[in-house]
Amino acid sequence: MEITLGQVLALLGAAMAVFLPGIGSAKGVGMVGEAAAGVVTEDPGKFSQTLILQALPGTQGIYGLLTGFVVMQRIGLLGGNLLPLTTHQGLLVFAACLPIAIVGLLSAIAQARAAVAGVGIVAKRPEELAKGITYSAMVETYAVLALLASILMLFGIRLA
Amino acid sequence: MAIIKMKKMYFLGLKKDLDRILDALQRLGAVEIADIEEEEEGSARVTTELSELESKLTRLKFAIEFLKPYGKEPNPLFYGRPKFSLKKLREILSREGKIFEIVDTIYGFEQRFSRLKAEETRILNQIELIKPWGGLDIPVESLGTNGRVELKAIAVPKKNFKPFMDKVKEKDLPLEVIPVGESREESLALAVYHNSAKSDVQELYKEFSANTEEFNGFTGTPADIVLKLQERLEAIEAERQKIKEEITQLADRLLDLKAFYDYLLLEKQRKENLLKMAETEKIFVMKAWVPENSVESVKEAISSVTDAVHMVFEDPAEDDDIPVALSNPRLVQPFEIVTELYSLPNPREIDPNLYMAPFFFVFFGMMVSDAAYGLVLSLLSALAIWKLKLSGMGKKLVELLFLGGISTFIWGMIFGSWLGDLIKIKPLWLNPLENPMAVLYLSFALGVVQIYTGIILSAYKNIRNGKVADALMDQGLWLLFLTGLIMMALLGMTGTAKYMALAGAAGLVLTQGRSQKSIIKKFTSGLLSLYNVTSYLSDVLSYSRLLALGLATGVIATVINTMAKMLGVNVVGYIAMIIVMIGGHLFNIAVNALGAYVHSSRLQYIEFFGKFYEGGGRPFEPLRMKTEYLDLEDL
Repeated sequence: MEITLGQVLALLGAAMAVFLPGIGSAKGVGMVGEAAAGVVTEDPGKFSQTLILQALPGTQGIYGLLTGFVVMQRIGLLGGNLLPLTTHQGLLVFAACLPIAIVGLLSAIAQARAAVAGVGIVAKRPEELAKGITYSAMVETYAVLALLASILMLFGIRLA
Repeated sequence: MAIIKMKKMYFLGLKKDLDRILDALQRLGAVEIADIEEEEEGSARVTTELSELESKLTRLKFAIEFLKPYGKEPNPLFYGRPKFSLKKLREILSREGKIFEIVDTIYGFEQRFSRLKAEETRILNQIELIKPWGGLDIPVESLGTNGRVELKAIAVPKKNFKPFMDKVKEKDLPLEVIPVGESREESLALAVYHNSAKSDVQELYKEFSANTEEFNGFTGTPADIVLKLQERLEAIEAERQKIKEEITQLADRLLDLKAFYDYLLLEKQRKENLLKMAETEKIFVMKAWVPENSVESVKEAISSVTDAVHMVFEDPAEDDDIPVALSNPRLVQPFEIVTELYSLPNPREIDPNLYMAPFFFVFFGMMVSDAAYGLVLSLLSALAIWKLKLSGMGKKLVELLFLGGISTFIWGMIFGSWLGDLIKIKPLWLNPLENPMAVLYLSFALGVVQIYTGIILSAYKNIRNGKVADALMDQGLWLLFLTGLIMMALLGMTGTAKYMALAGAAGLVLTQGRSQKSIIKKFTSGLLSLYNVTSYLSDVLSYSRLLALGLATGVIATVINTMAKMLGVNVVGYIAMIIVMIGGHLFNIAVNALGAYVHSSRLQYIEFFGKFYEGGGRPFEPLRMKTEYLDLEDL
C-alpha cells in the first residue's frame, strides 16, 4: 500500500495533539509537585490536599491523548486499514488537532501556576483548599473548550 | 429548610451558679456565647487559669503523640473513637497527679532518647574519622615524641601525596614515611623522623598541606578503637530498645491521657466563654445566640440547674453578627459541602443548597456518564459509609460521591456507555460520540435553566427584601430580554420573539441607569448595561464542558479497552489484559470523578452563585462537648 501525504499529515496532527499537551502537563504537574513537596516537608498531613492540586494540570495531557486517539480511530489506524487520505483531508485532520495541541500545552502551564499559588493557600489556610482548586479550574476551561473544538471538528470531517 | 432562624439571648444569673449553668449549656450544645460589647478586659484570674490549662494541654498532647506509636489502639477510621462516659471522665480529675507523673516520665524518656541520639551521632562521626586508619597497627598513645624519634600520623590530600613522597625521597632527610591507607579525600601515612629534622619536616607538611592526627582521648590501635566504638553503638541501641520496652508498658495509659486531655479541653472551652461575659461581684450577664427551635430546650436545661436567672430572647437587630446554621432535607445535606467550601450564606440571604443540589447531581453524572463507573463509585462510597466511622466533612463528601455515582449510572444508561464500549447496551437516548451536537445543545439548555434559576432567585431575594421594583427592573427585564433572544435564535425573527427582545432591551436601557444623576448618564449607562448580554452568552457556553468531559470519559475508556484487547493473544496476555482493564478503568474513574467534582463545583460557584449569592456567613459554633480523642456517652 502506498503511503499518502494526507496520511502523514493526519498522523502528524495526532502526534502533536498528544505530545504538546503532554509536555505542558508534565511540566505543570512537575511544578505543582515541587511546590507541594515544600509544604509537605513542614506538614506531611497536607499530602492529599496538595495531591489534588497537583492532579489538576494533568488533564491536558489526557485530553491530548484522547484527541490523538480519536484521530487514529477516524483514519482507520487502529483497525489496521489506514484510509487513503488525500492531502486536503490530511490537512483538515491536522487543523482539527491544533486547538488542543496548542491550548493544551500553554493552558497546562498557566493552570499549574494557579495551582502552585493554590499550594500556597493550602500551606497557610488548608480549609480554603476549594478556592485554590477553583482558581486553577478556571484556567482549565480553555483546555476543555479547545478539546471540544478539536473533537467536534474531527467528528465533522468526512474521510471515507 | 434553609437557614435556621437565630434568637438573641440575654441571660442574667448568679455567679455561684455559673459553672453549673455553663456545664448544662455545654451538654446541650445549642448555645453560642457572644462577646458582650460593653465589656472591659477579661478578668485576670480567668486569663491565668486559661494559660495554665493551655500549658497542661500542650504537655499532655506531647505525651499522647509520643506514646501513640507504641499503643495498639484500633484505627478510629474503622472502629470509631473510644467511648467514654461523662461520669468516668469526671472521676479522672482525682488522678491528675498520677497522670502528670506519667507525662513527666515521658518527658524523661524523650530526654534520654535525645541524649542517646547525640552520643550516637558523635560516635558515628568518630568512626568515620578513625576507620581509614585501620592499617596503622601501633597503639595511638605511642604516637608523638619518643626521645629523639618522632612518630606522627599524617593525612595528606590525595592529589598531593605522590609529589610529597617524591620530595621526601629527593630531600634525603632522616625521615621515613609509611603509607597506611586512604580516607575519602586524603592519603594516610605514618611519618617517623629524627627530631633534628623537625623544622624541615614541618616545612614539608606546610608545602603539601599535610595534617597530623593526634587521636586525642583514645588508646589502643585504631582498629581496636573502632571496635570499641562499635560496641558502644550496640550498647546505645540496646538501651534504646530497653527504653522502648518501658514506654510500651506505659502505652495502656494512653486512654487515660486522652481522657484527661479531653476533660481539660472541655474545661477550656467553658473558661474561654467566661471571658466574653460581663460581671459584677455577685452576678454575670451573658449574651448568646440560640437557634429558634432550641429555645425551649435551653430554658429547660437552665431551669434544671437553678431558678435564680433571668433570660430574655429577642430577634436579632439589623446590624447583628448572626451566626449561620443550615437545615436541609437529608438528601440535600451532602451537597452542603459544596457551598461550605465556597462560603456559608450570610444570615440575611437564602440558603442556596436546595436549588444547587439538583444541578450538581445532574452535572456530576453527565460529566462522568458511564453506567458501570457509576455503579463502582456508588458501591465504593456505600462501602465507605458502611464500614468507616466518618463524620463531618468527610462523611458529606463520601455521601456526595454516592449520589454522584447514582447520577453517573443514570447518565451512563442514557448514553449507553458501560465501561466505555466494552459492554454494548443500547443507549436510552443516544450515543454522544455519534451525535455530539445533540448533547451540546442539551448542555446549553441545562445551562440556560440554571442561569434562569439564578436570576429568579435573585429576584426572589429582592422581593423578600421589599424591593419589588428592583426585582422587576433588574431581573424581570433581563428574563424578558434573554427569553426573546433565545426564541429568536431558535425560531427566527417571529413576531412575539422580536417584540419580547425589543421590549426587554428598551426596558433595560431605560431602567439600568436609574441610579445615575444626569439624564445623559442615565441613558448611557442603561445602554451600556445591554453589553452584559455577552456575559450571559459566555455563561451558557461554559456549560459545553458537560459534553466535553463526558466525551473525555468515554473516549479514555475506549482507549483503555483497545490497549487491553491488543494484549489478549495468549494466556499471559489475557491476565495482562484483565490487569490493564481494571487498573485503567479505576484510574479513569478517579480522574474523571475528580474532574466532574471540580467542574460541577465551578459551574455552581461562577455561573450560578454569581447571579444571586453573596456568602460570607459565619458558622454557628455553640458551646458543646467538643472532644479531640474520645466519644462521650450519656450526655
